[in-house]
Amino acid sequence: MGTRALLLLTPAFKSDCNLLNHFTKYGFHQTVRQQEKLFRVGVRKFSVHSSLERPNVARLAETARISLTPQEAEEFAPKIQQVVDWFGQLQDVDLQSIEPAIRPDTEAGSFREDNPEAFDNREAIIAAIPNYEEPYIKVPKVLNKD
Amino acid sequence: MALTLFRGIHTRPLLPYSSAFSARKHVIFCSMQSTQTETSMKTKQQAPSNFTETARAKAVEKVLKDYEAIIGIETHVQLSTTTKAFCGCAYTYGSQPNSCVCPVCMGLPGALPVLNSKVIKCAVMLGLALNCKLSLSSKFDRKQYFYPDLPKGYQISQFDIPIATNGFIDVDLPLEFGGGHRRFGITRVHMEEDAGKLLHTGSGPYSQVDLNRAGVPLLEIVSEPDMRTGIEAAEYAAELQRVVRYLGVGNGNMQEGSLRCDVNVSIRPIGQLEFGTKVEIKNLNSFSAMSRAIDFEIARQAELYNQGQADEIVQETRLWEEGSQKTFTMRKKEGLADYRYFPEPDLPEVVLTEEYVNGIRESLPELPEMKRRRYEEMGLTMQDILFLANDVNVAEFFDATIAKVPDIKLAANWIMGDIAAYMKNEKLSINEIKLSPQELSELITSIKSGTISGKIGKEILIELMKKGGTVKGLIEEKDLVQIVDPVEIEKIIDKVIANNPKQLEQYRGGKTKLQGFFAGQVMKESKGKANPGLVNKILIEKLNAKS
Ligand SMILES: [Zn+2]
Repeated sequence: MGTRALLLLTPAFKSDCNLLNHFTKYGFHQTVRQQEKLFRVGVRKFSVHSSLERPNVARLAETARISLTPQEAEEFAPKIQQVVDWFGQLQDVDLQSIEPAIRPDTEAGSFREDNPEAFDNREAIIAAIPNYEEPYIKVPKVLNKD
Repeated sequence: MALTLFRGIHTRPLLPYSSAFSARKHVIFCSMQSTQTETSMKTKQQAPSNFTETARAKAVEKVLKDYEAIIGIETHVQLSTTTKAFCGCAYTYGSQPNSCVCPVCMGLPGALPVLNSKVIKCAVMLGLALNCKLSLSSKFDRKQYFYPDLPKGYQISQFDIPIATNGFIDVDLPLEFGGGHRRFGITRVHMEEDAGKLLHTGSGPYSQVDLNRAGVPLLEIVSEPDMRTGIEAAEYAAELQRVVRYLGVGNGNMQEGSLRCDVNVSIRPIGQLEFGTKVEIKNLNSFSAMSRAIDFEIARQAELYNQGQADEIVQETRLWEEGSQKTFTMRKKEGLADYRYFPEPDLPEVVLTEEYVNGIRESLPELPEMKRRRYEEMGLTMQDILFLANDVNVAEFFDATIAKVPDIKLAANWIMGDIAAYMKNEKLSINEIKLSPQELSELITSIKSGTISGKIGKEILIELMKKGGTVKGLIEEKDLVQIVDPVEIEKIIDKVIANNPKQLEQYRGGKTKLQGFFAGQVMKESKGKANPGLVNKILIEKLNAKS
């Protein structure tokens, strides 16, 4: 759920503080440290939750490739707004004295060795593919990526 | 000139030619050539004519008097790990489609990724090799987009905290392109996963998807916009390929797509500070294609500038077409794509310890730039250096050869001459020929010490490359020891002179050119074993002696 909420939020984030605009093709001149600072500054800028932009449900639906009727969009808007407001509250928390973390979890480094392990029920996966023609998955013809 | 030579690469992309002249010529492109076994994908297509190539070269040269080109490159390197980045599926290029799949790489609900530790190792190795600052803690992010080759609907990548940043790569430009040393900046290196493969083969309304490649680990390397010409860009990419191969983190094969380069090109009038609109070029299957595509694009943009139509240069992705030697609009970019990046919640942060990084740093092999500088100090010419250091296996062969016989120039000549020619003809790599570096050094020693002649040496070399064996064994088996005893040589010469009285008469009558004929006969009589210096010395005495 947390994930979903964040996903919906991102466009608002972007337009508000231009966080993503700091990333351009050649924009990574800063060291990682500077990047982190930049990030924190970005977050600080938001800490006034009233500045959060109202979610544009139609656009969110489009980027998520979900079709919504105007009625549905209208219905969703306040619910999404609630989530956004909730994040606004989180951002109001004073974190001046807290060391920033990249990730919320503390345990790091649960890696896997590079040893192959074949999945033994491949047939079931293949059987679940809606449109399969040995040995390929069939999809509507697509030529451009956007 | 430069571009005409590229045509040479295009049509004859393989190994050196046998003649001394061509062997030298080979150096021009060897450093940009992918491997010895790779052939250009488009060899069937008509190569551009000399005329257009020269015309294009001239056009670009002219353009660069008024405009400066700004070129940046994004490179994807596929890592040669046994398994994929986040699941235990083994990936092998060319496997039966959709055979290397599991719930994780198919993006099935509930499946969780677990990072392959080898991916981190490769990233740290490449980051260090590219002189980058490493992030001791970095993270993965989700990059969302919808496309049938991406089962999850997002790619696991690294966004704002890549594992390595702020590096550089050193390049020696081939002499034929003016030579010189260049340093190009590396903006960042990050870890990510590959997408599957989409095939548009049939004529029907369907595309075909093969997800074997989905989830295979990649390193994306973003350069600073430091390159100014197609040649510089191609050399940057060639050096990156060398580094990847020296490190052994990937095979760097462009035709298989294990090394993919997307190039950004913009131009601006010289003196202007702000950048022009940049255009992205894709579908570059070789270094020469990269160089030609960039030169085409520079000329195209300059033409628009010159005609007052600079506003027609738009931010877009263009495809390079080998057949027509042109770039074409693939899609215009309407606003930047919104990938809605956010931290990947299913993966923990990637933490590197100092000990881990130091351990890897200490175990790094000698890298191409270090090798070139070492060869330079040894006194080799830049031409030799670029040839030998281009292929890590050739460089190792050379190093092993000179470890025993420190005759650097001779070893280089044998490898770049007869050995390279044989490899080219037989389409073999240096590891596939039967000759070992030990035997090559033995061969050089035998020639230097006079045990065998240079001519016999060449014959033995062929035998060694074909069948293996030892120099000593072959010399004994075939009774090839050089005749250095003057008495024995004299006997042979006497015999030859006695057998050719007519030629002797002509020689003494003034036709001194016949000395070569006699020398040839003596060599033939001795089965090539007579020491040529002694033969000539004694022969002249005998021929000129009044009988
Ligand atoms: Zn898998």
